[in-house]
Amino acid sequence: MAVFRSSIRIDSAACAAQWSLILAIACWSIAASERTGEAIFKKDCISCHGSAGEGTKKAPHPLVGEKSPAQLAHVISKTMPEDEPGTCTGEDALKVAAYLHDAFYSPDARARLQPPHVELARLTIKQYRNSVADILAGFTKPTKSDDRQGLHGEYFDARGFGATGGRPNKALIDRLDAVVQFDFGTNSPAGPEQPAMALRVAYSGPAARQFFLFDVASGFGAPRGVFPNKIEERKFNPKQFCASWEGSIFAPETGTYEVIVRADDGVAVWVNDINYKQPIIDAAVRSDGDTTQLHGTVFLLAGRMYSIRMELCKGKELDRKKLDSCLVDSKHSFVELQWKMPHGEVEVIPARYLSPNRVPEVAIVNTPFPPDDRSYGWERGTTVSKEWNAAETNAALEVAGYVAERLQSLSGVAIDAPDAKTKLRVFAANFVQRAFRRPLADAEKKLFVDRQFESALDLEQAIKRVVLITLTSPRFLYPNVMDGQYGVASRLSYALWDAPPDSTLLDAAAANRLKTREELVAQAERMQTSLLARAKLHEFLMTWLRTERFSELSKDAKRFPEFNAGIAADLRRSLELFIDDVVWSENSDFRQLLLSDELFLNDRLAAFYGIESKKDAAFSRVKWESEKRAGVLTHPFMLTGLAYPAESSPIHRGVFVVRGLLGMTLLPPPDAVAPLPPELHPNLTTRERVTVQTKPDACFQCHGMINGFGFTLENFDAVGRFREKEHDKTIDVSGDYETRDGMLVSFVGARQLATLLAGNEQVHAAFAQQLFHHLVKQPVRSFGLTTPQKLRESFAQSNFSVRELMVEIAVMAAQHNSTEASADPKKAAQADVKR
Amino acid sequence: MSQSRREFLGKLGVGAAALPFVMNLSSVARADARRKQRVVFLFSPNGIVPSTFWPKETGENFKLTEILSPLEPYKSKTLILNGVCDKVRGDGDSHMRGMSCLLTGIELAPGNIQGGSDHPAGWAKGLSIDQEIKNFLQKDPATRTRFGSLEFGVMVPERADPWTRWSYAGPNKPVTPIDDPYQMFNKMYGRAKDQKALSSVLDDLTEDLKKISSAVTPADRKLLEEHASFVREMEIELKEAQASAGHRVPTIEPGVRKDNDNMPQISKAQIDLMVNAFQADFTRVASLQYTNSVGGARMKWLGINEGHHAISHNSGDPVADKDLTKINHWFCQQVAYLAKRLAETPEPGGEGNMLDNTTILWTNELGEGKSHTLDNIPFVLIGGGLGFKTGRYIKYEKVAHNRLLMSLAHGFGHTLTAFGNPNFCGDGVLGQLA
Repeated sequence: MAVFRSSIRIDSAACAAQWSLILAIACWSIAASERTGEAIFKKDCISCHGSAGEGTKKAPHPLVGEKSPAQLAHVISKTMPEDEPGTCTGEDALKVAAYLHDAFYSPDARARLQPPHVELARLTIKQYRNSVADILAGFTKPTKSDDRQGLHGEYFDARGFGATGGRPNKALIDRLDAVVQFDFGTNSPAGPEQPAMALRVAYSGPAARQFFLFDVASGFGAPRGVFPNKIEERKFNPKQFCASWEGSIFAPETGTYEVIVRADDGVAVWVNDINYKQPIIDAAVRSDGDTTQLHGTVFLLAGRMYSIRMELCKGKELDRKKLDSCLVDSKHSFVELQWKMPHGEVEVIPARYLSPNRVPEVAIVNTPFPPDDRSYGWERGTTVSKEWNAAETNAALEVAGYVAERLQSLSGVAIDAPDAKTKLRVFAANFVQRAFRRPLADAEKKLFVDRQFESALDLEQAIKRVVLITLTSPRFLYPNVMDGQYGVASRLSYALWDAPPDSTLLDAAAANRLKTREELVAQAERMQTSLLARAKLHEFLMTWLRTERFSELSKDAKRFPEFNAGIAADLRRSLELFIDDVVWSENSDFRQLLLSDELFLNDRLAAFYGIESKKDAAFSRVKWESEKRAGVLTHPFMLTGLAYPAESSPIHRGVFVVRGLLGMTLLPPPDAVAPLPPELHPNLTTRERVTVQTKPDACFQCHGMINGFGFTLENFDAVGRFREKEHDKTIDVSGDYETRDGMLVSFVGARQLATLLAGNEQVHAAFAQQLFHHLVKQPVRSFGLTTPQKLRESFAQSNFSVRELMVEIAVMAAQHNSTEASADPKKAAQADVKR
Repeated sequence: MSQSRREFLGKLGVGAAALPFVMNLSSVARADARRKQRVVFLFSPNGIVPSTFWPKETGENFKLTEILSPLEPYKSKTLILNGVCDKVRGDGDSHMRGMSCLLTGIELAPGNIQGGSDHPAGWAKGLSIDQEIKNFLQKDPATRTRFGSLEFGVMVPERADPWTRWSYAGPNKPVTPIDDPYQMFNKMYGRAKDQKALSSVLDDLTEDLKKISSAVTPADRKLLEEHASFVREMEIELKEAQASAGHRVPTIEPGVRKDNDNMPQISKAQIDLMVNAFQADFTRVASLQYTNSVGGARMKWLGINEGHHAISHNSGDPVADKDLTKINHWFCQQVAYLAKRLAETPEPGGEGNMLDNTTILWTNELGEGKSHTLDNIPFVLIGGGLGFKTGRYIKYEKVAHNRLLMSLAHGFGHTLTAFGNPNFCGDGVLGQLA
């Protein structure tokens, strides 16, 4: 497959021949022996690029990038110098390329010139919110949980709920409901006409999917069916009954969740509110003509379970005319519990996000923060601003209020108890300790606890002051100002979870056990099973695939009339299921992300792509056009996102491969270029149009690489459907790529491209490096110039296990003793900071 | 003041601003059209005991009865109205309608809440007069206040239904009263208190930042120094904000939990906060709701162990009436305490005291507990806020309470021609008030 470039490209060979004369003149003005790369650079390149490639007015972009010397030499020989391209080729091009590559161009050269170091970093917003949630979670009793799905449903033959006051009322039906989606009709939930709702929907309704399909990548483990456990034969009063559903919901992403209930009976819903203080849907009282769609919103953090309770109360007959007759039919009753996840569409909350287990409340900071710096491609906390300081202070005030409001349940101390002061001091010291992720020194206890208690007017004020000063302290906000075993623990947990260490990890630190690599790996593997780790890895994979840019996907209504927001949301879900399925499968093989010939489709997507499927089928794994498709490259969500509303976009797809998969930087186009309108070139295929447009030399530097990848995916249109032809022309899906050692590799179609990429070291290295940045939030070379190399090698040794790579990186971060401060125990603050 | 005259003026298009002058309202209203007028709606539940509530004599020469005796110091400022009836019918039992139609004057929507009798119902179909007046005042920059209205409660149950809500921001939009004085305090002064707590830790924080800074590399120190500079800026801004805050933050008794037995302390705290809110001009409209319609407070501090609602079903029985009289007397004491606090507080930036510019309206969802009648709903008005002629007991002949609600709005110069169900408003505002 691989051949030398000059032997295959007839046109470029011809050009080279033409230019060879000019080349001779340019390079020969230096004596052959003195024609070092440096000399050529100084003579021919400095005037535009500057003496160290820093750029000038003529060529403002610094000469930096990820190309290999061979790849650089090719660009030079084809396009440089700009006024006389073709005058520096062959040996000379190689020499000058090698020189600038090692002098300043390559990442390693840059790191050598300006060694990156691990910077002091504050908590990112995500880390801040997780830290507060976990500090306070430490004061609530953990609840037992199992892997059942669905919600605990209780049905009462009278008004009122046993669980929430009123007169005690025994549940006549007590069962697990996979989803809340019932049409009771005019019957009771247990009437003979409708013996058991769950059974009924098990065989007919959309909820049926929960019973027959295995569970995919949900974080809850094995598949399981849900059946009503016990139904009392006693007949309910169909005109008046109540039902409640209780348990917890899983939030896979951080963001605002909309909860929607469809019902016209009395309804109330509480989320993350175990004392039922503030229902997010409060419609226990219904007036005729009200909407049957009740909305509530709640902000949730990714990777956690939240308590949920819904109550439904069917009131008496509402039919005015028939009211006085005791023989009237009961009114029609129905209920559906739906949600709209961030990036999602309205759907009945699937069973795999529901659990009948009760969970404690999660303390969620709602204070808005200015977004974290993402200029390097990952969120990092290495800058502070006035707005951040204000937000962080307001958040501390919010938490102080939260703690004061729940003081008794968190501390177990009644504020008016005789020994409250002593006990609350203990509580306060625990709070500070959890916030600082380590035991307190005496000086710290004095400042953060004793002093606040001594100068406050009352105990509530004292607690609020403790919370305020603790959460605004650099000891909380900058977790890497820490040394020793507790520093190791913090670095490990923030890398894996973006959250502080749990008690098991802190215990290991206290016992001085976080010293060996084995122990750290064992801890990391344990921690990796947590939902927080799953959420973080999931978030990374979506970042790696750059799906953030695909939000609000919409397509040309004429070309794709069946495309809508529901399809877009399903496509996203399909991709998410796929990537989670791969990385949490036994081998966790990275290459399967590129090579897999399976994907997940539900009934809606199957219909959209013209595949047969069962009605109301949930997502399941299918082989679909497996000889043509390959992993994420041809996943319809990617293809749809990397396209225009009506047309495909080989450029977007090619850029994704270059930037995302090969991890290379691309300069922006020299001028803002609008794509050639397809209607002006009705006879050209998309490939032909793009070729015409990117022909100029100025474009070639990047498009030489971009187009070669993007064209191979041209068999897929703007919604990811397979096509052979465009405008009655057979589409050319051949492409090529010049490897780092200067070999030209050709391939045809998506599968060949995927095979090439899956086996490519640069792809492996880029993935490992991006994962490092996402987990550690520091430049990879700040851990040493050879870190990228080490990561790639260990990735390869593990047969490209994504999970093992994650552990490797987290352990690396934990072991990396970064700041000088922590290295120098004599420094002043260490008296307080260090144990 | 005759109805026909008002209608006549209405047809002439005489605007609200001109009304006090044309209509010969009370001297207080005339003295300063721009004075800060206020109104307080105060609710106690389950009807009263007619024999120990209603005075025997009408007009100016009436004697305060046993229940009303706490109002003795303010008798000349008190106006008692008999014969005002809640004529709103429709869905919902008397308690539900009594409560949710009391300030709205309009039917409940058919709904899903079944009472002790009658058809099930939902929320009231319209907004309540306190919210109507609030909206009117908030429209005008001269009368606009920070909150517009504040809804206080004492021992209101933790459930929202037509028995527990009397203030409505609109159809189907009940307003939840705040029955926790600490929550109300935080609503009013939370920011100020937070800022105080914050200022108190800033010095320590600055020290802490210095300590940590000295322990890190110079490069890292830059970040912490930047952080410290923001903390200093915040400190300066806080000091400036506190210097310009002016109004003093009150202190309330700490640690009073929501508990039946703490009702007297909660009541006092809420009234004190309300007076503070008026002093600071945070609002000119307030309501104070004791428990709820069918509320079952056990007034052990009066030696009564049974719940209020249960006792009220036996009204007419001498033993029950004795307890009910005591209970209502206690509610009247709360009204009197509010009047006292207002009367002893000079009007900020104005003349006289705050009671001169405030009208307290004390009412109930029922006329009487056993019969559950909505006739003869007790309305007791204290103070000079709306310019009514006080020191009288007036008996009307079964007038719709919608007309009284309209009169309240008119007292603010908001000349509504109907409020709630227009069928009960045909005769316009109540006569004899001014």
